[in-house]
Amino acid sequence: MRVDRVLAIAKKNLRSLRHDRRTVGFLVLMPLLMITIFGYTFGGNVKNVNVYVVNLDQAPANESVSAAIITYLQTRDTLHIARIYTTADGVAFATEKVKDADIWASIVFNETFTEDVTKASLDASGQPAMIGLTIDGTNPNIVSSVSNELLMAIRAVLGQRAFIAPILVVPDLVYGKDARFIDFFAPGVMGLAAMMVTFMLSIISFVHERSTSTLDRLLSTPVTEGEIVAGYALAFGLVGLVQSCVIITAAILLFNVMIVGNVLLALLVIFILGVGNQGLGFLLSSIAKNEFQAIQFLPLILFPSILLSGVFWPIEAVPTLLRPVSYFIPLTYAVEGMRSVMIRGWSVDGIWPELLILTAFAIAMLVLSMYGLKRRK
Amino acid sequence: MEGEGDAIHTHKLRKEYDALVAVDDLDLKIGRGTLYGMIGPNGSGKTTAIKMLVGLLRATSGTAYVLGEKVPIKRHIARIGYMPQEMAVYTDLTVHENLELFADLYSMDDEAFAKREENLLGVIDLIDRKDGLVSQLSGGTKHRVSLACALIHDPDVMFLDEPTVGVDPELRVGFWKYFSRLKESGKTVILTTHYMDEAVRCDIVGMMRLGSLIGEGTPKELMNSTATTDLESAFMALSKKVSA
Repeated sequence: MRVDRVLAIAKKNLRSLRHDRRTVGFLVLMPLLMITIFGYTFGGNVKNVNVYVVNLDQAPANESVSAAIITYLQTRDTLHIARIYTTADGVAFATEKVKDADIWASIVFNETFTEDVTKASLDASGQPAMIGLTIDGTNPNIVSSVSNELLMAIRAVLGQRAFIAPILVVPDLVYGKDARFIDFFAPGVMGLAAMMVTFMLSIISFVHERSTSTLDRLLSTPVTEGEIVAGYALAFGLVGLVQSCVIITAAILLFNVMIVGNVLLALLVIFILGVGNQGLGFLLSSIAKNEFQAIQFLPLILFPSILLSGVFWPIEAVPTLLRPVSYFIPLTYAVEGMRSVMIRGWSVDGIWPELLILTAFAIAMLVLSMYGLKRRK
Repeated sequence: MEGEGDAIHTHKLRKEYDALVAVDDLDLKIGRGTLYGMIGPNGSGKTTAIKMLVGLLRATSGTAYVLGEKVPIKRHIARIGYMPQEMAVYTDLTVHENLELFADLYSMDDEAFAKREENLLGVIDLIDRKDGLVSQLSGGTKHRVSLACALIHDPDVMFLDEPTVGVDPELRVGFWKYFSRLKESGKTVILTTHYMDEAVRCDIVGMMRLGSLIGEGTPKELMNSTATTDLESAFMALSKKVSA
């Protein structure tokens, strides 16, 4: 394999991009758009969720546990208590409002709430105190935010009054202290964007090479199949890398995303993923007869990657039946590897299995691509 | 070694696609320094034969030698030039970038490339547009760029598939003069063409029909043997003879 010929092929691909400003714009703006939209859509914590409170608790104001909980909730910004009812007809009214989707939830404290809390804390075998929560379950994110906020308020108020909670779980976070959802999915979006673009560029460029016979022309020169494949891998791997830099810069500037480990190691993971995926594009280009057919492969590759590789939710959330598929998707390992670097701060020692699998995938794709080219003869 | 002295030597070269015989036991012997024209209608096997000779298609049976090396050639690959029938140039690169790519693939040094580029751009009349994107050129002009890409490394044997298609008549005359000059300098040019009147400029003409070589010789020999006055009539006469 001659390096000068590999570089000539890589230069050709990068020069083609340079002349195509629209594609360059797409390559930079698409990942930027992805991280911005995903970041603003999923990245922020839920705030100002509209709720009504019905407080029927008969305890005097200075003793009332419900009043303390309400005050606690009002000092925070997760819930916005739009109205507080103190009469029984408020229960039906607030429930109606939830059903009409005017508010997300209604929180009801019954007449004996403070009394029940006091009894339950003295005698654990008695009836527990209850809070009624009527909630619109359309958005699971809202449901968990409201429930968590309420639990947090209860724990805080009971703690202040020296009521002893029966069981207390105190999490000690080993990694990701202060990590937000965006810190979890930013590495996934980086991998996803690099994967999409390298695959798409490679399959379309190569279908074009075949349909315009420039491939025939290349193969009639001293350049070998291996050199063509390596030249493509180098060019499009670099494109994936540049994109990741765009994403990571945007993620840091816009969302202050967490990077505990070595960012260069995270970029190496992306580069290997990009090389592997461009190889996959290269390989599938031999099945597609034109650009239109090539683009049809995109959803086939994209959807399983988005849904099953742990970009937005953990692999453990993937149904057991589909989980084996997750382990066959290279993005799964790239995302896990990048998370380990960016959030856990791991080095090569920690992510070598992911690096090994991704490298094996990339080599397999490149070798098969070479074989695909040789078969033409 | 078989066919060592010839530029091209094939023996019963055959290409089948399922039931279709694209090239039917082709025997060719083309000496070095020959301007050889392969003529015939669409589907007569000209392009398939050339693709087998440059190593892009595997022959079903038979043998072929280019510059004494068995096809697919490796040792002498840098000594051949190939211009496919399609445009086969990178339209999203400039004329210069296309030429530079192929020069790099043939490992030409910068000085040799610069000289050769200037010379070829003069031949194809594109000196002024060397930095223009190929996508902005007309169809015929793209063909000229394609020809230059095939010749950039100054090959000894050139396979040119329909090099004059879409080229205006004035430039076509220039092309043929250039082919003659190449031949005079000892190069071998094997080209295919639809324009039978053009083929009269070749040293040897091979007439192909349905994958077979139905006649071969100098244009004069072909016309004399069929008692015709032009190559088109000679082709028709030979076709009729074979069909009968």
